[in-house]
Amino acid sequence: MTDAESKRSPLMASLAVCGFPSPAEQYVESPLDLNELLVTKPAATFFVRAAGDSMVGVGIREDDILVVDRSVDPCDGMVVIACVDGEFTVKTLRQQEGQVWLEPANSAYRPIRFAAGQELNVFGVVTACIHRFRVH
Amino acid sequence: MIGLVDGNNFYVSCERVFDPKLEGKPVAVLSNNDGCVISRSYEFKALKIPMGEPYFKLKPLADAGHVFFRSSNYELYGDLSRRVIQTLHEFTPDVEQYSIDEAFIHLSSASNDDWQALGRRVRETVLKWVGIPCGVGFAPTKTLAKIANHIGKKLPTGVFVMPKDPKGLLADLPVDEVWGVGRRLAMKLRTWGVRSAGALATADEKWLRQKGNITLVKTARELRGIPQFAHEDPDERSQSISCSRSYGKAVTAFDDISESICFFISRAAEKLRKEGHRAAGVNVYLQFYPEYQPQFSEGGYTATTISFSQPLAYVGDMMKEIRPHLPSLFLEGRRYKKAGVIFFGLEAEQGRQLTLFADVEREKKTDRISAVLDQLNQKFGRGTVFSLGEGIERGWAMKRDFLSPHYTTKWDELPRAH
Repeated sequence: MTDAESKRSPLMASLAVCGFPSPAEQYVESPLDLNELLVTKPAATFFVRAAGDSMVGVGIREDDILVVDRSVDPCDGMVVIACVDGEFTVKTLRQQEGQVWLEPANSAYRPIRFAAGQELNVFGVVTACIHRFRVH
Repeated sequence: MIGLVDGNNFYVSCERVFDPKLEGKPVAVLSNNDGCVISRSYEFKALKIPMGEPYFKLKPLADAGHVFFRSSNYELYGDLSRRVIQTLHEFTPDVEQYSIDEAFIHLSSASNDDWQALGRRVRETVLKWVGIPCGVGFAPTKTLAKIANHIGKKLPTGVFVMPKDPKGLLADLPVDEVWGVGRRLAMKLRTWGVRSAGALATADEKWLRQKGNITLVKTARELRGIPQFAHEDPDERSQSISCSRSYGKAVTAFDDISESICFFISRAAEKLRKEGHRAAGVNVYLQFYPEYQPQFSEGGYTATTISFSQPLAYVGDMMKEIRPHLPSLFLEGRRYKKAGVIFFGLEAEQGRQLTLFADVEREKKTDRISAVLDQLNQKFGRGTVFSLGEGIERGWAMKRDFLSPHYTTKWDELPRAH
């Protein structure tokens, strides 16, 4: 994991070797960086491995890497990593009319509801999911 | 204003971030080789088990499942420490990391002059973003900020701002709790009637200079609210750089000892170079086990002090001067349990004196080699490049039976969520 400290900035590139003025000579941008795209707050961003199929409905599959940002305030409709009975789970957070529950995206699973006095413990908000395809 | 932010029971707190089952439980993190306790949760402290307690004495507790132990997961702690520092940068660009879990933050003002509120925000942000609970102390000097931090940790808010007139507070504080006053110095001060921080603050400077040293005088000034220890003043605090490890299993062969010492010299020299220092010499020591067959002989130490021909920072040159001394440290038939090296006589890179016999050109070249070695080690991981003396197969690597995964530094050890 590297810090996403690289900022895209124009670089002056003079292609003197070519011997002719290039239209691209004005400025050249630095290459596209996945860290910059996916990691807004490096200090608060962690990667979590998805297990199981409880969230296939939103496109999270077994072994996918979830980008989790702890600096984001969790609210209704966001996919979160929560801690339930000492284990991490990935579910959609639902908050409505004073009720809070964790919703799966797979009909084979039941929502996780909280009893009175039981606190919901959110580890962080999932901002992206990385799925890798098998390559021979 | 200076704030001191430090993680509560830092290593334990790091373990809890990814293992929430450890919350609220007695947890302790063990030193290298699972030797002894080096970090305790509040619940563990409540069991009255002291810091430094050897693990073998506590094994029955672990086996009964009452108490949880973890081996030192430095990779994890280093990464979370980095994140805490990064988070502090949200509040000020002037963050001065002091140790793995402590940093001074320098701020010129707080909105509405409400330092308490700022301290709370700092604490909440670090807890939210990195999962590490911290104490925050604000004061006009580093020494006072350390005291404020200690007080803050005991409060439910975790934050304390030193009052403008701290005299009453300092009068109640024992002198050995002052930053920079060690146990020995405290004993001496007490015999001279200086028992509290307040007494140290108001002691006569000439007397302090005579009884102690300039650092003691500066400490007293800091207690009076006059900043003395500027930014990144490592020369004020660290007088030596060391590296030591216990061996995973008893070592008997001279070659293994020699190899391991070369490795420690490498590690310590890395730190030395990073701080821009050279060392005038090194203390090398070995600790061996007691023997019971055929008759009892005590365990003990062998040690030697080596003064270098000139201040050095390059491992190759150091080992050349150290190697001839190693056979004298080695006792045939003894089983060695630990070795260590301590550099002394550190001098900063700039403004160092050239000795009559210094080979300036060669030093420049070895400096460049050292810089390249450091870069390679940093890029590809520690230990990538090492002197030939270090060897490749390290049969003596340390034991870490309770090691948690490298949650944030290895792709195949990420935490999992169902």
